[in-house]
Amino acid sequence: MQPRLFLVAACVAILSTLPAQAHHSFAAEFDGTKPVRLSGTITKIEWTNPHSFFYLDVKDARGEIHNWAIESGNPGALSRRGWKKGAIKLGDALIVDGYLAKDGSRLIDGRRVKLPSGETVYGGSAGDGGPGDPTAATPAPGGGAQQ
Amino acid sequence: MRPIGVRAALCCGAAFWLAASALAQAQGLLGDDAAASTAPTPRTAEGHPDFSGFWKGSKATKPVGNIGKDLPGFKLPLTPAGETALKNNLTKTVDPESRCLIGGIPRHDASALPFSIVQNKDHVAWLYMYTYFRTVPFDVHQHEEDPDPRYFGDEIGWWEGDTFVIDSVGFKSTNMWIDENGNPQSDAMHAVERWTRPDAGHIHVDVTITDPKYYTHPFTYSRTWIAGDSKASQHEYVCSENNTDLKHLGPGPGGIRADGTRGYDVAPLPAVPPSPDAYGK
Repeated sequence: MQPRLFLVAACVAILSTLPAQAHHSFAAEFDGTKPVRLSGTITKIEWTNPHSFFYLDVKDARGEIHNWAIESGNPGALSRRGWKKGAIKLGDALIVDGYLAKDGSRLIDGRRVKLPSGETVYGGSAGDGGPGDPTAATPAPGGGAQQ
Repeated sequence: MRPIGVRAALCCGAAFWLAASALAQAQGLLGDDAAASTAPTPRTAEGHPDFSGFWKGSKATKPVGNIGKDLPGFKLPLTPAGETALKNNLTKTVDPESRCLIGGIPRHDASALPFSIVQNKDHVAWLYMYTYFRTVPFDVHQHEEDPDPRYFGDEIGWWEGDTFVIDSVGFKSTNMWIDENGNPQSDAMHAVERWTRPDAGHIHVDVTITDPKYYTHPFTYSRTWIAGDSKASQHEYVCSENNTDLKHLGPGPGGIRADGTRGYDVAPLPAVPPSPDAYGK
């Protein structure tokens, strides 16, 4: 494995184990077969229970802009991971990797977030049975795993 | 970047899973089994074991969230009506907890989440991470004649030596899952919890569940938690504050793995996932 990829895998694997509240299972809302990357600009931040949400304006291949919702862990869980409220603000550019909602809406489960600081943090809800859930008994196949 | 090699990937995954588990333990979800105190059980002025504390899960509890964890193959003794109820939970019911309803008993006993206990001279109170609580008085031996259905049931408690027994009936007939995996429980359920604190660092429960509507015979569930930081406390959590994902939720907890945990064995996130355009969005 190249050092850079190794580092990313390590970072994600470790961060993915931090505690959160499993408000609902990953699979009840998101499609684990549809990983997606959003690159866009923050338009709204909801630092709330049971999940934090933030919204990105993302330009598609035709140049049209769509607003996407990113579901994340609750504020307490995120802050315990070092993701403080001030880490993102309106207008920031953000890259978020996650999974599409099963119902087809412009909503993803943001499990890996590259903050404006360059730091990559885990954004999901541990205990939800999704990739990276620390209550899963074994690492998922494919290495860095448990993302 | 070159694609990650499978063998290297598995090695990295295993190695970092160990590190990750240690970190998870350090930061809240799990207690530190190896460091748990074996000092004598603290006692109240009245002489009872004092259950007060902040209690975290143990790595030994597997699979978390599955009330059948102590049964062969994790298989619950479902009646035909229980099978039907399970199917209904899996295919037609959105998780009651995700609708901001109380998980209840025994689901909270199977949860992965830490909890607090506060005990005084005549009550024990459980404080859960969703800002739910239950208080159980000592020395009550008779249930209410016609208890209103509740998520925690009509709970009565008494001491048998150093064991605090909680006997619960009168549960809701709907909107309750017996565990995180969507297994069913009915309003006929009778739960008997036997709580002990064998030493300063551990608290333990043995639960016997009888539910003739959904289970052919009684079964048991046992679990031990580890004492956390004595200064730790529950954080505020308002489930209905911004529960906007509810309209996106499908039924059931997702697939149940062979190891009894819930969820799907989906592939990990690729290093660079595709953009939404790949899905026509």
